[in-house]
Amino acid sequence: MVATTLLILTAAFPCLGQAAILASLAGRVPGIFFGLPLVALASLIFAATHHEDPAQIRLAAVHWTVWLGGMLGMVLAVVLLLGWLQ
Amino acid sequence: MGRNAEPQPSRIVAISPDDGSAIDLRNPALAAALSWAVPGLGQLYQGRTTKGGLFMAAILTTFVLGLWLGGGKVVYASWKPGDTRWAFVCQAGAGLVALPAVVQSAQLLGPARQPLLLNGFMAPPLAPGQYVSRAYADRLSRNDADFRPDDFFDKPPLKQFRRDQLALWHRRLGKFFEIGTLYTMLAGMLNLLVIYDAWAGPLGPSEDEKKRRAAEAAKATSAAAAEPAS
Repeated sequence: MVATTLLILTAAFPCLGQAAILASLAGRVPGIFFGLPLVALASLIFAATHHEDPAQIRLAAVHWTVWLGGMLGMVLAVVLLLGWLQ
Repeated sequence: MGRNAEPQPSRIVAISPDDGSAIDLRNPALAAALSWAVPGLGQLYQGRTTKGGLFMAAILTTFVLGLWLGGGKVVYASWKPGDTRWAFVCQAGAGLVALPAVVQSAQLLGPARQPLLLNGFMAPPLAPGQYVSRAYADRLSRNDADFRPDDFFDKPPLKQFRRDQLALWHRRLGKFFEIGTLYTMLAGMLNLLVIYDAWAGPLGPSEDEKKRRAAEAAKATSAAAAEPAS
């Protein structure tokens, strides 16, 4: 039920959904917050190697952070769900 | 022949995907080499100071942070059977900042049997039965909390280690050994993108972004067409 709610929330409001997923995962996955700077860093470098204008780099970095964070959050949620179902 | 008639050297340029302006890549091979040596230095050489500073700060900070999280032990080069450090292949992408690991490994396995920096910075862990110089063994016994004086057999003129230093590191650092390794590996791998950027200029927007821009442009065009002529 919680997982379904989170998935619907993520589909409707990506940023809000991701925040909710992270909040729910924080207690279950030790050290998850060590991964967040890496997601931001990868997005920033990826954006900066695709653009030259600083404003465009910022926009693309936010876009990639949301996309990458969302994808990894979804994968983690599925893995946790499978673990919970076992 | 007047000054204006002198032939201009051909310049290698890339086109900015944002405003279509030309980016002077100067000597792309040199810029790529500089960006490997110090992340962002190639972009600084090309006059792209904002991106150069951004790359330098982001990648070096991540590398140093990873090294710190891993207690200074996660960057080392080792090709011994049982401890082949494949992570170093990625870490080496960060450039000269990972170079001490190669020097330390070569010195420790060479005739000297001790790393160049005796504090063991970026030196590979000692394997069970590995021979080291007496100076290095004494230094480790004195200064490293993981070691006891009886950890080494006396085998003149050397000493032989009797435990597994990698296991000691894992026991002391726990998950931070893996987290530090991940940070330093990612810093090295992301620098490959930076090297490519110095070599060939920005990659341009992704396919998704191109579609989004095209959709926005089409929307703006249709909105302009729908407006009544003033």
